[in-house]
Amino acid sequence: MPSHSPRQIRNFSIIAHIDHGKSTLADRLLEITGTVSARDMTEQVLDTMDLERERGITIKAQAVRMPYHAEDGQDYELNLIDTPGHVDFAYEVSRALAACEGALLVVDASQGIEAQTLANVYKALELGLEIVPIINKIDLPQSEPEQVAQEIEAVIGIAAADCLLVSARTGQGVDRVLEAIVTRLPAPKGDPEATLRALIFDCKYDPYRGVVVYVRLLDGVLRSGTQIRMMAAQKNFAVDEVGVFRPGMEAVEELRAGEVGYLIASIRNVRDSKVGDTITEVGRPEPLPVPGYRQASPMVWAGLFPVDSNDYQDLKEALERLQLNDAALTFEPESSLALGFGFRCGFLGLLHMEIVQERLEREFDLELITTAPSVAYRVQLRDGQTVEIDNPDQLPEPGLVDFIEEPRVKLEVVLPKEFLGGIMELCQERRGEFVHLEYQLGDRALLTYDLPLGEIIHDFYDQLKSRSRGYASMDYQLAGYRREQLVKLDILVAGAKVDALSAIVHREQAANQGRKLVQRLRQVIPRQLFEVALQAAIGGKVIARETVPALRKDVLAKCYGGDITRKRKLLEKQREGKQRMKLVGSVEIPQEAFMAVLSLDR
Amino acid sequence: MVPGPARSLYLHIPFCTQRCHYCDFAIQVGGGDLQDRYLQALLEELRWLVEARVPAPLESVFLGGGTPSLLRPDLLERLLQAVVAGFGLAPQAEVTIEANPEGVSSEGVRLWASLGINRVSLGVQSLEDDTLRWLGRSHDAAQAERALAVLRRGSIAALSCDLIYAVPGQDAATFEGGLRRVLEFQPEHVSCYELTVEPGTPLARGVAAGRRQSPQVEDFLEQRRLAVAVLGEAGLGQYEVSNYARPGWESRHNLVYWQGGPYLAAGSGAHGFLGPAEAAGLGFEGTGAALRYWHLRNASSYMRSVGDGSRGLRGHEWLTPEDLALERLACGLRLAAGVELQTSAQLRTAAHLQGLGLLEFSGGRVRATSNGVDVLDRLTLELAAI
Repeated sequence: MPSHSPRQIRNFSIIAHIDHGKSTLADRLLEITGTVSARDMTEQVLDTMDLERERGITIKAQAVRMPYHAEDGQDYELNLIDTPGHVDFAYEVSRALAACEGALLVVDASQGIEAQTLANVYKALELGLEIVPIINKIDLPQSEPEQVAQEIEAVIGIAAADCLLVSARTGQGVDRVLEAIVTRLPAPKGDPEATLRALIFDCKYDPYRGVVVYVRLLDGVLRSGTQIRMMAAQKNFAVDEVGVFRPGMEAVEELRAGEVGYLIASIRNVRDSKVGDTITEVGRPEPLPVPGYRQASPMVWAGLFPVDSNDYQDLKEALERLQLNDAALTFEPESSLALGFGFRCGFLGLLHMEIVQERLEREFDLELITTAPSVAYRVQLRDGQTVEIDNPDQLPEPGLVDFIEEPRVKLEVVLPKEFLGGIMELCQERRGEFVHLEYQLGDRALLTYDLPLGEIIHDFYDQLKSRSRGYASMDYQLAGYRREQLVKLDILVAGAKVDALSAIVHREQAANQGRKLVQRLRQVIPRQLFEVALQAAIGGKVIARETVPALRKDVLAKCYGGDITRKRKLLEKQREGKQRMKLVGSVEIPQEAFMAVLSLDR
Repeated sequence: MVPGPARSLYLHIPFCTQRCHYCDFAIQVGGGDLQDRYLQALLEELRWLVEARVPAPLESVFLGGGTPSLLRPDLLERLLQAVVAGFGLAPQAEVTIEANPEGVSSEGVRLWASLGINRVSLGVQSLEDDTLRWLGRSHDAAQAERALAVLRRGSIAALSCDLIYAVPGQDAATFEGGLRRVLEFQPEHVSCYELTVEPGTPLARGVAAGRRQSPQVEDFLEQRRLAVAVLGEAGLGQYEVSNYARPGWESRHNLVYWQGGPYLAAGSGAHGFLGPAEAAGLGFEGTGAALRYWHLRNASSYMRSVGDGSRGLRGHEWLTPEDLALERLACGLRLAAGVELQTSAQLRTAAHLQGLGLLEFSGGRVRATSNGVDVLDRLTLELAAI
């Protein structure tokens, strides 16, 4: 296939809220352009990981090239760059957007625009992308496309008349989408003669070929043999292969300015291929890097420990394997008196953490105990030093601490006005400070709060959803640190401190939290063969106590005649339950206990 | 090691007049017209066993059910004659029949004795009419007492009574009263089982629907201790979690199960257990430390399967040495004699459990204390965790 001139190329991504139909629309586009035949069409082609399909979300970005014969008689090359859809992966989204000239904004005709979508739209507008709004699911009886179009006009400033009405499910209107991509989105600019300048918007690790780097060429040409330099990583490589996605990888002779594709260059580590980095050519004067590069950095940390301490080495190797493909995942050895040897891992957010945890358990068959996630606190010591701690147990003794600062976020919530009361209450409960309230068209409001990151990492999103019957949506970004009255809450089980259960809490809430935490632990720690005392303590002073009474009965007085197999199976089942628990001292503690601090009612 | 050949035989007679509310055994309600055909199938399976196995006279035969006392006398006679003729009985062999009170008559008992039956296990369950009704039993207390009297007048040496405790609505005093009335008949052996709610039973459905109360832990703890005390006082020592006997009158057949010995089984739903050599001799393929096999639970399916040469079998499993060790530990801990521990890690755990007052050492063995029996399954897992 001949390489197209930039005028015949369109690079775009799709911005949509979860469930608004992004994947279905992408599938229709692939089908109509013949990129994927109807026969090979598995539901949601772009979400290739099992986890992605199960959860209906995109974790890694994907790219696919579609040939399209437009109504003007010309052949075009359409590059769809699919983006992750969760707030944990906001940076990856921004880089994928930076690789495009336009974006399709897909909005559910019965739901309207959600906060997170809006955040991405603003990001796209900031990057100068042209937006084509698409109102999807118009086949559903409760759809209100006109109202949604009005809303788009009011919020984003695109004329309601320019919205395309589509049902991705039935295929209605999808042909107009393809035409709009060609006619309304700009062709890429860029000079094939200029020095190579390419943006890395994703990468993946292939065990046979090394790192596959997903690139968008802004200027210049890339072909096998090109000596490239990663500007931020400061590493040089020789390109072995360049190619495009159709949707499988297919080698091509060269990639030119404006095109989207991949390169392979014997890169062994995803850390050398950082999302957002700029690739140029060795030996030519370095061009300006693509703006917006940022080192992906974790927001929350948690300890991962193997239930069976013999699995430590396996866990290490599994984390190394995952890290090959996940530059945002960090880990370093951690040892806990209670849980033994494990790793302190850094994640972009809770979803990221759950995904890593699930992959370790599923793909590597590991039984894990995960400690409650924590944010990183800045501790100012009396001797003038500042230390950053991401593990509550590392908090220095109160006598050594001058003050502690905690990270805060700016949170934006879009919601129907009727839920304002409940959501403001939620923010208040989480030590939030009201910043701003703005009414939007219809009955919507944009609410802005400033609150501690630590207060939103766990179930804030679920609470937000349940207190707004699912209508509120949120986005947040880090907004500095603030000095707070924070203390470490310790938990003693059978008289011994369990470091992995320590938490950092606000002084005013400490007594209450301590009491609730031991009450909760009493519910989740099963009865043992002896009575187990649970205590909450602050600075060595016990502030609450509960007791798990000893097990009273665990025997079946009946043995079933000659069917001892049944007896053995019952015991084996019980044993499986036991094996999922961690023996701390002589007490068996289940996974839920380590998360108990997160599920306290406030 | 499972020493062979098996010298114990279990025969399942599935017929019952009705299904008790708590029962999940392989039974057939009614089925009087099936008795001839069922017996034919059973005899067919026995013939095959006799041909295939290394001859060795039986030390114990157990006719269980179901309600074996419902079997027509002529059929019972043919069955026992076939066992004696085919397998041979060792001198002093224990031959047990399970009976329900309504199936006990002087005439019947005479027949049983003449056929060599020397032990009757009577399903008394309770001597309270309210409790019997709650359990869905087909007899009342008076019938049970009459049956006990008939059996004591007859010439069968060993009498065992089954009782159920921790039945909702029956308090400790009432349970104790029933126990003492049973003891007036001086049984050699008593089995006291706690009521368990088994899935799929009418009781389980009642509990799920909130119509019936489930057994309470407090009742279990109290009444189990009561049984140990009252029976012990009468000279019946607890030799297994739920079984009590005068010295020398322990059920030899059941001890084979609990001590991990081999046993043959025939009839619907019956489970057999064999050493590898004997299993191979009986045509089971594969290998392992021991083999357990079981029959189709439904009487008609069983008969069909025997008819077409499939021997009525539903399945089998080869036990690994670890499986066998776990079963030996689980069953051994149920016995007053206790178990011998195999590893030093087990000994360490046992010492910890002794400190908690749940296990005691006697000689080279460990056994559960009274408090330990309440949590026996957990003790088993603790000791098996190594």
